[in-house]
Amino acid sequence: MAMTRPPPPTPRRGWTLTDAAILVALVGLVIWMGARASENFQYRWDWSSVWPFIIRVDPETGRWAPNVLLQGLFTTIRLALWGILLATLIGILMGWARTRERLLPRLIGASYVMLVRNIPPVVFVFIFVYFISSHFMPALRLADRVRTWPAEWQTVVELLFGPVAMLDNFLLGLVCLSVFSGAYVTEIVRAGLQSVPRQQIEAGQSLGLTGFDQFRFVVLPQAFRTVLPALAGQLIQLIKDSSLVSLVSIQELTFMAQDVQVSTQRVFEVFVLIAVVYFVLCLGLSTLFRRLELRSARGRA
Amino acid sequence: MRSIRRLLLSLLASAGLLATATPALAQQDNLIETIKQRGRMLVAFGTFVPWAMRDRQGTWIGFEIEVASRLAKDLGVQIDLLPTAWDAVIPSLIAGKFDVIIGGMTITPARQAQIDFTEPYSNSGQNVAASKQLAAGLKWPQDFNSPKVTFTCRRGVAGCKTIEERFPKATLRQFDDDAIAFQEVINGKAHVVISSEPKPTFFTLKNPDRLFKPSSENLVNTFEGFGVRKGNPAALKVFNDWIAQNRDWLKSRHEFWFKSQEWEKLVP
Repeated sequence: MAMTRPPPPTPRRGWTLTDAAILVALVGLVIWMGARASENFQYRWDWSSVWPFIIRVDPETGRWAPNVLLQGLFTTIRLALWGILLATLIGILMGWARTRERLLPRLIGASYVMLVRNIPPVVFVFIFVYFISSHFMPALRLADRVRTWPAEWQTVVELLFGPVAMLDNFLLGLVCLSVFSGAYVTEIVRAGLQSVPRQQIEAGQSLGLTGFDQFRFVVLPQAFRTVLPALAGQLIQLIKDSSLVSLVSIQELTFMAQDVQVSTQRVFEVFVLIAVVYFVLCLGLSTLFRRLELRSARGRA
Repeated sequence: MRSIRRLLLSLLASAGLLATATPALAQQDNLIETIKQRGRMLVAFGTFVPWAMRDRQGTWIGFEIEVASRLAKDLGVQIDLLPTAWDAVIPSLIAGKFDVIIGGMTITPARQAQIDFTEPYSNSGQNVAASKQLAAGLKWPQDFNSPKVTFTCRRGVAGCKTIEERFPKATLRQFDDDAIAFQEVINGKAHVVISSEPKPTFFTLKNPDRLFKPSSENLVNTFEGFGVRKGNPAALKVFNDWIAQNRDWLKSRHEFWFKSQEWEKLVP
């Protein structure tokens, strides 16, 4: 098993003169660019009209309540969590299909990846929403069904998927995002599955495991460990890609931000704010994956 | 050989997937009936001051919101307000994502080819605001029809078309929302921004040192109607009757939102 062990860590050296020079030059460049930008940029910064859109005081109850930007963030988080789950499921299923020996599953997997990966994301979102899903979504009108449910169930639905009035819209955006990201996850999963040495599968066979058990206990865990960094990258990308569905009016952070921009005319404050929010969100997820990576690396030794 | 066959097969499979993606079904029955059965009217609009915007509480306010709410009340149904990206609002209507567009949509022949409009329920106009630094010396309108002059507009609004027609030599840059289109001109990166009144007026009042209005007369007078999927004559009639009955009310609300600035204190 020597070949799967990570290489010994390279000794980390401290500061050198070159490092210091490069750092000084970089800081200088940033300051110079900042000064240039503020010279040519006619803009009166006014953050005061943006804050109320994050959190508001309910005039009736006198309590704090999330306003549109925070609601948008909740939708983005919902999109991200469900999207990560769905995209990973799609990715495992299609990645598995792509590594079969039979032609049909391979064909289905390959067509899916080919279709999604070779269309620009924006175009994909539009085609998906207006041609494919509009076949059945209006007929479904899940929101109307949910409204006939008991109140407690509706609360659960709201917690999981956001406001009932926007339910269909949200699911549409979610499926679109998952199908889109799933294609990239598929390729990552495929690479992982193919990286597992043949002998491992043969070992599984000789232990008398069924095909599914071989996949579940032998191949998938090893593949998962190999592709974890790539998968992490793709799932962080998914959070950022969730801003794409604002194009089709899903009420997530970017869409709400545009709403607020139009209502307040504070364009750049809102952009800066949501950039920070996305950054924190993605940084959180990267830290989580980093931990997961370290843990699975421990399991390997 | 094998790889060629495989390629052909996957192309075939993709063609099959695409074939199922033919344009949306025409679910045509009586729209009003559908709305009443559902008990809710799904109304689409774009965020556009003062047609529809958020107040400090994040609640929707504006001319459109009042019109749509009153219409829903008169029909005896609740209202679902669905803010929609403006350049995708017509495809969304055709795709059946909502019942009607009540969003200050200007009636234009190009749009009439795709959807049906009611009789006008409001009458507005498009006008421009120009940059003091760049355009102060230019004569309106003749000097502005030049490749050196840059116009901005919000993508998908009727004003973009007006610029293309009236100022064919000028450069036109389109943005996703109005605030950015105005900001470009305030920053002195473009000469003129076109939008529907009262925005050019309000922005000029707010930025007197950077903007001016080359002309107080509207560049174009426009009429706005509700947008409905084609093939709903019964619904159109119901809406038209409602508009006819509420003429005076519509006029007074229009004056409140477009002529006065009383609502300014409601928004941040």
